[in-house]
Formats: sequence, C-alpha cells, structure tokens
Amino acid sequence: MTLVWLLVALAAVPVLVVPLTHVVGRRAGWAVAPAYTVIAALMIPTAATVLDGGEVTARYSWVPSLDVDFALRLDGLSLVFLAIVLVVGIVVMAYSAAYLPQGRNLGFYLWMTTFALGMAGLVLADDLVLLFLCWEITSLASFLLIANAGQGGEAGAQRTLLMTFIGGLALLVAVVIIIVTTGTTSLSEALGSDVWSDHGLLTSSVAVLVAVAGFTKAAQFPFHPWLPDAMAAATPVSAYLHAAAVVKAGIFLMLRFSEAFHAVPAWNVLLTVVGLFTAAMGGLFALTQTDLKKLMAYSTVSQLGYITAAIGIGTEKALTAALIHTVAHALFKSGLFMMVGVIDHEAGTRDIRRLPALRKAMPVSFWTVVVGTAAMAGVPPFLGFVSKEMLLGSMLTATGPAWAGPLAFVGLAIGAVLTFAYSAKIVFGAFIDGERDTEGIHEAPAPLLVPAMFPIWLGLPLGLAPFLLQLPLDRAVEAMVHHEAYELALWHGITPELVTTVLVIVAGALIVSRRTRLRPRVERQLLPWSGAGAIDGFARLSWRAGSLMTRLVAADQPARHVLMPVTVLTLLMGLGSLGVLTLTDVPATVPDLFEPLDALVALLVLLAVIGVCRADSRVTAAVYLGGVGIAVTVQLFALGAPDVGLTQLMVEVLTVIVIMLVLRSLPVRFAHRAHARKRLPLVLGLLAGAAAGLGTWVLTGRREIAETGQYFLDEGYEVTGAHNLVNVILVEFRALDTLGELTVLGMAGVAIIAVLATVPEHTLRRSAPHRGLRPLDSDRDQRAAAALEDAQANLRPLQLLLRVLLPVLLALSAVIFWRGHNAPGGGFIAALVGAASLTLVYLARPTDRAVGTRRLHLGLVGGGVSVAILTGLLGYLSQEHSSFLAPLYTYVGSQHLSSAMIFDAGVYAAVLGLVLIALDLLGTEPVTPAFTPGPRPQPRTPRTGGLREREQVGDWTELPEDEKPAAEDAGSPESTESTESKEQHA
Amino acid sequence: MTVLPLTIAVLVAGGVYLLLQPGLVRIVFGITLLSHAANLILLAAGVSAWRGEPLHEGPGVADPLPMAFVLTAIVITLAVTVLMLALARLGGNDDTYVMPDTEPRPEDDHERGTGETEERPA
Repeated sequence: MTLVWLLVALAAVPVLVVPLTHVVGRRAGWAVAPAYTVIAALMIPTAATVLDGGEVTARYSWVPSLDVDFALRLDGLSLVFLAIVLVVGIVVMAYSAAYLPQGRNLGFYLWMTTFALGMAGLVLADDLVLLFLCWEITSLASFLLIANAGQGGEAGAQRTLLMTFIGGLALLVAVVIIIVTTGTTSLSEALGSDVWSDHGLLTSSVAVLVAVAGFTKAAQFPFHPWLPDAMAAATPVSAYLHAAAVVKAGIFLMLRFSEAFHAVPAWNVLLTVVGLFTAAMGGLFALTQTDLKKLMAYSTVSQLGYITAAIGIGTEKALTAALIHTVAHALFKSGLFMMVGVIDHEAGTRDIRRLPALRKAMPVSFWTVVVGTAAMAGVPPFLGFVSKEMLLGSMLTATGPAWAGPLAFVGLAIGAVLTFAYSAKIVFGAFIDGERDTEGIHEAPAPLLVPAMFPIWLGLPLGLAPFLLQLPLDRAVEAMVHHEAYELALWHGITPELVTTVLVIVAGALIVSRRTRLRPRVERQLLPWSGAGAIDGFARLSWRAGSLMTRLVAADQPARHVLMPVTVLTLLMGLGSLGVLTLTDVPATVPDLFEPLDALVALLVLLAVIGVCRADSRVTAAVYLGGVGIAVTVQLFALGAPDVGLTQLMVEVLTVIVIMLVLRSLPVRFAHRAHARKRLPLVLGLLAGAAAGLGTWVLTGRREIAETGQYFLDEGYEVTGAHNLVNVILVEFRALDTLGELTVLGMAGVAIIAVLATVPEHTLRRSAPHRGLRPLDSDRDQRAAAALEDAQANLRPLQLLLRVLLPVLLALSAVIFWRGHNAPGGGFIAALVGAASLTLVYLARPTDRAVGTRRLHLGLVGGGVSVAILTGLLGYLSQEHSSFLAPLYTYVGSQHLSSAMIFDAGVYAAVLGLVLIALDLLGTEPVTPAFTPGPRPQPRTPRTGGLREREQVGDWTELPEDEKPAAEDAGSPESTESTESKEQHA
Repeated sequence: MTVLPLTIAVLVAGGVYLLLQPGLVRIVFGITLLSHAANLILLAAGVSAWRGEPLHEGPGVADPLPMAFVLTAIVITLAVTVLMLALARLGGNDDTYVMPDTEPRPEDDHERGTGETEERPA
C-alpha cells in the first residue's frame, strides 16, 4: 500500500466511525481494531522495502506558490513509530469496545481515530508545514479527548492545550527559521543541510526551540504537569496517549531532528539534564501517588525522561537505546494502563489504599501486571531489561568532559531505583497488600483482559530474542546518524550496567521490604505547590496582563470607545481630502451628476436626521429614522439601483417593526445624563459630516465608468445568460462575498438565540409596568380606551385582510425569487417579502405568540448556509471553471437554469430565518417556552390564568383569552393553534 | 455640481452625533444612519452621472458592482441592527452607563436552560 493510500485509509476510519457508533455504540472498537489490522497488514510489503534499505516517498504539489509539498517519506525511524501507532491502536481499540460505558461514545472513537491519523501523518511527513500541521492535530485531538471526560476533564484539558500550544508555537518558530535559512520546506533536505554545521548560534537556537516543542509533548520538566492532568480522560485514551500518541510525538520529533542536532552541545546538555531530572522527579512523584492511574502517569513522565536523556547523548548507542526503550515502553505501558482499567473495572476503585489483595481473585491479571512492571523496572529477561541496560550503558558514551558520562550514569541509576520501587508498589498495592474483602471480585472477561495482556506478554519473547528488532532498529538509527544500530542482546557479559542493575534490584527490594514504614512518609504532597497550580497561576497572570493591555484601548462605554476612531477618521478624511484637493491636480467632475430629485432627498434627509437627533422619545426617533430610510430608498431608485432600492425598502419595513418590538420593553423617553457630554458629540458629528461630504465630493464622480463595471455590462449576459447584473454579481461573480454575508446573518440569528437563552429571565422583562397604548383622555372616555385595548376586535380587519393577502404575498415572493435573474428581484428581496408576510401573521395575532419554533429558526439559518455551501461545492463539477461556487448552467426546455438559483434559495432561507428569530424572540415576552433551550420544543404554558399568562397577554388586553367567546375565534389564524395548544395541555 | 455629498454629510453628522450618545438604541440609530451614508458613498463611487438600470446594455447604464456591494451591506446592516436591538432590550434599559443586573433572581424560572422544563407538569 502506498503512503497516500495509508493516510486515506486512516482518514476514512474517523469518517466511517461516526455513523458506525450511531448503530453499534461502544462496540465500534471491534470494527476499528480489525480495520487497523488490515491497514497494518497491507503495509507489510512497503515496510519490507524500507527494511531492505530502501526508502518509500510520495510527493504531491500542495501550495505551489509557497513551494510547500504534500510530501511523505517512510524511512526506518518512521516505520518504528508507525508500527507503534498501529499496533497499540489495534489493542487499545479492541479493549475500548469492552471497557467503555454503554452508549454511542461518538467523541471517543472520532477523536481517537483522528489521533491515530495525526500521528501517522506526523511520522510520515517529509514537509515541515505538513509536520507542523499533524503536530497540531495531535494537540487538538488530545485536548478534545481529555475534555470529553466531562467536567472533571475541563481544567486539565485546558492546561494540556496551553502546554502543548506553547510547544506548538516553539515548533512553528523553529519551522519558519528552518524554512527561511535552508530555503526548502522538505524535511529531509532541511535536516541534511550544511547550514547546521556552519552556523553555530542559529543551530543552537533552532535546536532549543525544537527541544522545547518536544518537551511539551513528551511531558518533560517543566511542561510535565499536563500528563497527570490528562488522567481525567477514559483509560483507553490514557493508554494510547502514553504509549503511542502525543508523548511519543514529542519523542519522535526529537529523534527526527537528531539527524541535524545530535552533535550540537546545547541540544546534548539540555536534553540530557532535563531528561535525567525529569526521570528522577517523575519517579519520586510516582512513589507518592496512591491512585494507580496517576502513579502510571508520573511513571510515564519518568520513563520519557530516560528516553529524552538518551536522545540528548546523541551517540548511536544512545539513540538505539532511546528507540528500543520507546518500543519497550509502548508495549508495557499501554498494557499496564489497560490493566489498571481492568482493576478499576473489576474492583470498583484504583486507589491503593482501598484496593483489597486481588492476587487470589484475579490471578491472570496479577501475573500480567507482574510481567509488565518487571519490564518497567528493568528486570531480566524482558524487553524492558534490554532497553534499560542499554540506556545505562549509553550514558557512559556521553561526549563532552570526562565526568559527564559517569554523572549521567549515576543520575539514571537513581531514577532506576525509584522506577523499581514504584513498579513494586503497583504490584504490592493492588495485588498483595490490602485488608478489604475480595468477595464478589472476579477475573475480568476475556474481551477486556486479552487486549491488555497482549502488549505486556509480547515483551517476553522480544526480551529473550531482542535480535528480532535488530533490523528495524538498524534502519531507524541509520536514518538519524547514518550508522547502524548498536547490537541488541539480552546478555552482554559482566558490564557496569549489569552490576548496576543488580544493585538497583537489591536497593529496590530493600525499599519494598520496608514499604509499610515508608509508605505513610511519601504518600503526601511533597511540595507546597503543584504543577497544575503553577500553570493556572501562569494563566491567571497572563489574563491579568491581557486585561491591563485592553484597558489601554478599550472603554466600558461605547461612546468613549468610538471617540478615538471617529476622531482619527475625521481628521484623516478631512485633511486628506483637503490635501488631495489643494496639492494634486484633481480631474473635473463628470457632467450631469445632479438630478433635481437629489435635492429633495437631501432636504428630507436633513429634516429627518435632525428629527432623529433631537427626538426625546424613542418612538419619535424611530419614526424619523424610518423617514430617513424612505428618503434614502428614493435616492437609491433615483440612482438607477432598483434591486438595492427594493431591498432597502423591505429592510426598512422590517427594521421599523423590530425596533417597535424592542421599544415596547424600554422606557418611553431617552435617558438624560447630567454628566454626559453634550457639545462634543455635536461638534464631532458636524466635523465628521463635513469631512465625509468633502471626501465624497473630492474623490468621486471624477472619472469614466470603471473597467470592472464595464466588463459586467459588456460580458455579463454572455457569461451568465441573465439580464439582472446586480443579482448575477451577487450569486455568481462574487458569490463568496454573499456566502460570507449569509454567514453573518446566520451568526447574528444564532447570537440572538444564544444571548436571550442564557441571560436570567428577569432581564428580559420590562423594567416598569407597561401601560400599553391608550388614548390621552382614557379616564374620561371608557369606550375609546376599550376600542384601543381590545386586541381581538382591533385585529379582525387585519386577520380578514391577511386571508387574501397572505397567499398573494407568498406568491409574490416566489415570483420575485424566480425573476431575480433577469429583472429586479432575487433571493434577498424575495426573502424579505416572505418575511414581511410572516410579520403580518405575527402582527395579526392578539397575543405575543411566536410564528415559528426554535428548530425552524435554526433549521432555516443552518439550512440556508448549508445549501449555499453545498452549491459552492457543486461548482467543482463545472467543466470550464472548476472552483468553489462556480455556477453550473443547464436548459430545461427553453428556460435557462443556473445552479446560482439553488444558492439564491439558501440566501432566501437564511434571511427568512433571521427575521423569524427577530420576531419570535424579541416579540414575545419574556420568552415563550417554545424558545427555551432544550432538546425539543416545549409544551406551552398552561392557559389557566396566573401571573405568567397575564404578562404574556399584557400588551394589548387585560382579558384572559379563555373568557373570549370561542365562536369568534373560528376562521382566524389564531383558532387552529389555540386548539392545538389546548390539546397539548390535556 | 452634485448634492449627494451633502446628503452623505448630513447622514454622517447625525450618525456620529448619535453614536456618541449614552443609550444603545440611539447608538443603533446612529449606526443605521452611518450605514445609509456608507451605502451612498459606495454608489457615488460608481459615478452618479449614469443612472440607467443595469438590466440592459446601452449608454448611461449605471455601474452594477457598487450596487451589489451596497445590497450586501444593507442586509448585513439588518443583521447587525437586529442583534444590537436584541442586546438593547436586556434589563429593560438600554443605558450604556448602567450595566444590566444579570444575576439570577428568585422569581426567575431556574429550570430554564437546564433542559428539564419538559418534565414540568402541564
């Protein structure tokens, strides 16, 4: 199987797993595991090529303008990691199918398989940009998996994201520097470049950046706290994360860059010191834990410390040791994690203090854990022993001063003692010590146990016959230092390493024998602060710094906030226009810019704007605002823009209605503030107006028609077969703009729903009891008051009119939609006409009742945007210009049809959705139950009186609806719904 | 000579004046006026000497591109206006100097938003 097909197959898994989990739930793991097995089996011929000394590459042009390729390469190093990703993936997936709780577990499988894809992409990437992309995919997937654990995981997930993104940034900077200095984005070319040996300082800085990136993923001090945090995630997640995925991504990165940096002193010192320190620290913290999973997490921190230190040494023996330990660790740690899950699953706890002595009840688990921990502790004859021996030995090959090697050796040995101690603690804590009764605890079922046992027991034959791994390791080490791997063997003779191993085991056994006395001393918080606390403190600090920064530019009051930009814009525009006018040779204006109608509009606008600004009551201001809108609409028609004019007219109508809906819940008059500046707005407003007018006069109307405009006029019809050029520009030539606009519309609608659904209900009620509309002398003339307040009777004419008008309006909307291609009209105008007719339906109701449901709102908005995007994708089928949103044409009979009409339908739906949201959410009070967030539309509130009921009716009439004669309802649009809602309450 | 710049000047002056007022409704009205001004500026950029409807070829036909821009702008203005009006409604007061009290109160329906409302006895 070629590399691309490998990635395609791995990418298909997350896509297919989504519908699969809907059907089979957690058992999807039993489909994913075989899928990975098949993928791994198909890769064997390709792997064989690599083992024979070949190299498999694939290269596709990706971003030619930046010289970025989609380049893949399988060499020895990638092969080892790819094998780990797939093999551990297989067992973890099989295990998950039995381990996870019943249910869909959609998030788990989706992100786990994405994780595997990201890892495979990372190890195969031969392009720095692709490498970085895959690196971030693994970061995001781990974040989502940890956050998926629910509330317990949120804080940890955020810390993980913060940590891994620090590394991501470091890697990004490193990648950019590498690309700039080596002039290529190809990873293999960049690593083999001469730049690294020629420029010491540059090489050191890039090496440190890459090391920081590696540290964040491989959980090296001081970036380690996220790993124990990640324990909140489900056990299979931890097993995969610790053994094969994220942390191994860090190790892989450091190994991959060893080719360039293995002889750079800064790299050697940094990795070795940090690695050894982390190893000892992780071991110590592991000993203090009583939660088996947390213990495992710190143990991973410690084990990765060994590997990091060995990568830091950088000799071929050390790199061999790092690789073999990576393999050994992947096997025993994935198995041990799953075994902790098995213990947790069967005994109901994973706390050593509460676990009974499980040895008798779970013998198979016991021996499996013994083998796994023995491998971790470096006891012969397991693979862990082989790797630990070699790690110890490789420390002595350290370059630099003579004392460096022995010092590193001793450091690692200290870590090894701690490793032995905490490994023993797992066995004794879970299986040997403990007073509680084991009654009712049985061995785990095979589907759970077997996947967990497999990787652990695999370490035994590999430990006895390590030469089986020699060939892949040779190829992997060759990929890094162009030299074959050190020879793997179980028995190297009596060496310092072997003596140390014996000493380590003796020291460890001594600690174990005294465990009852030692445990209480170490099982406590060793330090007064924790890593997680430190990260949170850092986050708080940066938040505070951020708010300090924003205070420099932001203000709590909008008025103060806009003051600066308005002033600057005014100055720029005014002085700039004056400058252009005086300093340059401005061409004369085109003749005939003026039409008499313009002057009338200007006068009307002037009067209405003065009205808006001076109005004391909100309603008055709204009326003047409507006047401005109508005058501007006239101007638009006068400028020869019928589409724009129609749209403006409809928008004006709807805006006025929405304003009136909102004004009902606001005080009648504008607030007067004594301290509010009065003169400044006036002066600044006049200056800004003058500047804008001057700018318009200086900078427009002084040229021939634009080239682009002329193109549309000349070619528009030929290209699209449509006469209405404005509509064609909207839905064909510049459809991407329109798609963006739709998205803005949709987002506004969703934002309204979100805001109104999350604020407390009292903020949506009126501040003061509202009296509704009443005649001025209502106290004297009761009949006049009744005539105004009897909503039912008042609306009768409108309801009757609507029966005739509604079909006409809807038909009109359809006609406008249809003819949009050739005459003024189109999706926007048609949708606004449709929305206006629904507004009439709303207005014809005596109570504030919603027209649609929340599902309809979101469906219209989401459906509209989706339809538009899907139409865009259709554009790739276009023969001539295959691109997003390219229109397709066809003829049905003599009728010319374009895919842009489907796009226009999307426009229609989204606009309608927004207007419905505005009507239903702003026009009902406080929020009818139909709009409460929840899985499905709610039944309506009971109609039997009560405060709530009165408030809903409030605006127009005080009469509860029940008291009205039922016969009067017949025929009105109201009646059917009343029956409906009554049925629902029955 | 043309009066379009005058209309624009009046709209901008009113818009900026309202934008600097304390109440959100007035600010929204100001934004509406500014949008009108912006739309007219866009159309002025298409040169107001040619006012033929761009439905057919011929002399004196207006530039359709600014019109398409303005059409987009109008609908976005609608979206922004509606959103800001919804915000103005919160707390029953649109005074931007007073933050609406958004702490839950006892009379609020606490089940709202938890999805449990459907279990309420009907």
